[in-house]
Amino acid sequence: MGIDIRKIDEIIERYDKSEESLLAILQDFQHTFRYVPEEGMKRVSEVLGVPESKIYGVGTFYKALSLKPVGRHTCKVCTGTACHLKGAHTLTDIIGKELGVEPGGTTKDGRFTLQTVNCVGACALAPVVMVDDEDYYEGSSPQDVLKNLRKYK
Amino acid sequence: MEKITIKINGKDIEAVKDQSVLEVARENGFAIPALCFHPEIETRAGSCRVCLVEVSQNGRTRLVTSCNYPVRKGLEVRTDTDLVRRIRKGVVELLLSRTPDSPVIQKLARENGIEKSRFFVDEGEHYRNRCIACSLCTQVCEEVVGVSAISMLDRGRDKAPGTPYLKPSQVCIGCGACAYACPTDAISMIDEGEVRKIWGREFKMVTCSVCGKPYIPEAQVDWIVKTTGKDRSFFDKCPDHR
Repeated sequence: MGIDIRKIDEIIERYDKSEESLLAILQDFQHTFRYVPEEGMKRVSEVLGVPESKIYGVGTFYKALSLKPVGRHTCKVCTGTACHLKGAHTLTDIIGKELGVEPGGTTKDGRFTLQTVNCVGACALAPVVMVDDEDYYEGSSPQDVLKNLRKYK
Repeated sequence: MEKITIKINGKDIEAVKDQSVLEVARENGFAIPALCFHPEIETRAGSCRVCLVEVSQNGRTRLVTSCNYPVRKGLEVRTDTDLVRRIRKGVVELLLSRTPDSPVIQKLARENGIEKSRFFVDEGEHYRNRCIACSLCTQVCEEVVGVSAISMLDRGRDKAPGTPYLKPSQVCIGCGACAYACPTDAISMIDEGEVRKIWGREFKMVTCSVCGKPYIPEAQVDWIVKTTGKDRSFFDKCPDHR
């Protein structure tokens, strides 16, 4: 995969060498590499003295952590109660068709990962789509959402 | 060791403060079914929910898991009320929908008057169809064996024990304690001649010099020698011929 071991060590360096730092380190991996690499988990195990099994358990538990590389942008379609009623699933289908991926999948060019999430706390905008955890799009017009998605390279 | 008196099903029972309700009850002849309880394991996850009992304390009555509920002065326990039976039946019915292939769960279901689960039956990998995700195996591996080769992976309905990266573990010693502890026989361990297969890895077995029976993985001998300083020659013979 060509993950730079120095980058991994740089991230681990920032934290106390204790089990409490585990999740923060894995989150930084996710942020830097767009996934949590196996090499990283192995290194964390050595440095923190935490069994690899535990680290892998944490890695598989949190949805915010991915063990496979995700796209440069994440597109989260909210399927919370309000969004569900306002047609979140149709919206997911339309976006999925445009991007050519199923929910949870990443486009071949690595541009987008499509996810469904349970509630982004913006029910007034339902159905809502969130891109890169910062941009919210009101999704009652799927065409507008698709247009907005094209901005992301 | 503070001695206290509690009531179980109306009877006065002597107990040591902070013992678990389950252990006190069983010591005194009250049967409480349980799956994920093991006396050697300190972590009482209370995850199978089968050991539910009704407790009353300070005028409050509620259902608790007896395996990890500490006895205190004046506690009243009822192990077999209508409420306990009804809720336990529901718990077992849910377990049956997750592990339809497990003879242990099937038997427990029959004992609780369940013919067939009304819920969606999960069809997945075979071992998942027996695993109730109680995490007793991972606790044994960590607490008793001390190697932490396996942990609970994923969550929700996909939660199940496994090795890191789903690859054969390099720290596993092939002891089989996880398979032994598993209350639903969900972990596959196959001994074939001088080879034991468990968690996707093959372990070479040491053969008893008297009876010629392969009885312990070499990796386990290495681990015991390393951690206890015991002499390696001790393992030339199996426990029956020492």
